[in-house]
Amino acid sequence: MMLLKIAWRNIWRNKMRSIVVLSSVAIGLFAGMFMIAFFQGLMKQEVDNAIETQLSHIQVHNPVFPEDKEVGALIENGSGLLEKFKQDPAVKAASGRVITTGMISCASTAAGVEIHGIVVSDEKNISSVTVDLTEGSYFSRGGKNEIVIGKKLAGKLAVQLHSKIVLTIQTKSGDLTAGSFRVAGLFRSRNSSFDETTVFTKQDDLAQLLGTGKEIHEIALLLKDGKQADPIAASYKKQYPSLLVQTWSEIEPEMAMLTGLMDQMMYIIIGIILLALMFGIINTMLMAVLERQREFGMLMAIGMNKVRVFFMVLLESFMLTCIGLPAGILLTIVFVRYFASRGIDLSAFSEALSQLGFSSIVYPELQQSMFLPITLMTALSAILSAIYPALKALQFKPAVAIHKI
Amino acid sequence: MNTIIELHNLSKVYNPKTIPVYAVNGVDLQIEEGEFTALVGPSGSGKTTLLNLIGGLDYPSGGEVKIEGVDITKMNENKLIDFRLKNIGFVFQAYNLIPVLTARENVEFVMLMQKKPKIERDKLVADLLTEVGLSDKRDSRPSELSGGQQQRVAVARALASKPRFILADEPTANLDSKSATNLLEIMAKLNKEDHMTFLFSTHDQRVIDKARRIVTLVDGKVISDTKNQPH
Ligand SMILES: Nc1ncnc2c1ncn2[C@@H]1O[C@H](COP(=O)(O)OP(=O)(O)OP(=O)(O)O)[C@@H](O)[C@H]1O
Ligand SMILES: [Mg+2]
Repeated sequence: MMLLKIAWRNIWRNKMRSIVVLSSVAIGLFAGMFMIAFFQGLMKQEVDNAIETQLSHIQVHNPVFPEDKEVGALIENGSGLLEKFKQDPAVKAASGRVITTGMISCASTAAGVEIHGIVVSDEKNISSVTVDLTEGSYFSRGGKNEIVIGKKLAGKLAVQLHSKIVLTIQTKSGDLTAGSFRVAGLFRSRNSSFDETTVFTKQDDLAQLLGTGKEIHEIALLLKDGKQADPIAASYKKQYPSLLVQTWSEIEPEMAMLTGLMDQMMYIIIGIILLALMFGIINTMLMAVLERQREFGMLMAIGMNKVRVFFMVLLESFMLTCIGLPAGILLTIVFVRYFASRGIDLSAFSEALSQLGFSSIVYPELQQSMFLPITLMTALSAILSAIYPALKALQFKPAVAIHKI
Repeated sequence: MNTIIELHNLSKVYNPKTIPVYAVNGVDLQIEEGEFTALVGPSGSGKTTLLNLIGGLDYPSGGEVKIEGVDITKMNENKLIDFRLKNIGFVFQAYNLIPVLTARENVEFVMLMQKKPKIERDKLVADLLTEVGLSDKRDSRPSELSGGQQQRVAVARALASKPRFILADEPTANLDSKSATNLLEIMAKLNKEDHMTFLFSTHDQRVIDKARRIVTLVDGKVISDTKNQPH
């Protein structure tokens, strides 16, 4: 149609202005998308990291255990159950843990810690701590009473690899006991507070001190599909009503909440970006319309009705949007791809982020499902912001417009 | 002869509340089909205002504008736009054409709005551009045409909607005398051969000379209305 032709050619009448509109659409879309990719990447990394470090997808405990970490709060027939979980096709890996709180001390100082007694071969399948070693090894020498502690804790205690430390704990029967351990490895996860408060020993060594025998406090499960954590946990809950079955988000509600908070923040930022975009378009299109006041007057004088005038202005914005959006999508794909493999280095803020448990290099990640809503939102804002200038064009009186010379 | 335009006691007052300007003041006028009328008068005498009222581009303060018996002052804006599209051709002093369209497309545009079929459009556009002597410029944009050529395209465009009459407000004001004479000759020819009714305002004596009827306006009032033998 002729209107399309006119709108299209009008776009190129003032190239600079069109490029401004076009690129604000493209950049608006890009900024929104990239923001989402960044936060999604950040959150996913954060969650994955927590899950890989220690949390796993699902944890099983005696219902009273999480509260006080009491030594007696064991999982009934824990080792049998662990074997059963290992057979479950939905489970990728399972590890049983003996856990207690105690005191770690060296010649000069002491600190409170949580001691995890683990079976090395199982734990290796489930936790990244087993490979995040900066020094030493993860119990590979097979000696008795070895301990792996966080590098941060080692610094605090002023101990080194092969140093001797003493663990003081309460046994199952309530007595205080102490064991002497040698530091076999130092780990460093992305979560510094975890590094400072968690230490690992072999399960047999800890069980011997505690007097818990073959029993365990915790079964951690890594699933083949992490997204299925909720339904799988629900079915375990039904299956084992006497046990406490929790997904990672139930164990760490703050983290789940943080994810939600990030989502909200993301939408607020996108909202701000789109608002800025809208003002930009309103402004430029309004200028374009006011400049052509005489032309619109003439068009209405010779019989162009208001619907046509309205759509002609709208069409111009629409066309610019139609060019701007793919450009923005392209920009997003290119940048997200690039940074997804390279990562965005936030080491400038790294210390603060690391305290919060965030990684210093963020790998943006864009879910396919976000493309459509963001594209539509951007398109909608662009079209909406053309409505006011279009309405403005309708208000010109043909006689007045023609008079203006 | 058919009366096409009928004005009864028409008036237009600007700024009625502050310093009223009686731009058109009680005008009675009839224009018959096939007439070639010049509207003359000093600057500020109300020519543009009167043409705007006749063309339905503005509403009067009082009186009637009847086009073939229909009082257009009672129509709302949307109806008026449609009425103009169907019945009135306009040639303004300047800014007649859509700058992004070629001469051909500018002429075709009104027919598109009238939803005329393509075959009819193509034929009429070609005929009209030939008639105004611009068939070789059909693919030029207004910016590539001289002032006189632009005005001739505007005349072709005005004719394209097959209007009942054409209003032209100082169509030659921006033209050199040769182009002005040329434009008037084309208009006169269209009047003679196709019986198209023209009403145009002008200051230019050579243009006035081409008219067959001269209506003189002073201070919004018709002070003389004479027949003229064009030469
Ligand atoms: N929009 C307006 N508001 C107020 N006064 C106006 C307006 N338009 C015209 N006038 C006044 O109305 C009177 C008639 O103006 P008009 O433009 O019709 O005269 P004209 O005969 O066309 O003059 P010219 O030969 O200079 O084009 C003038 O006094 C003018 O100042
Ligand atoms: Mg005038």
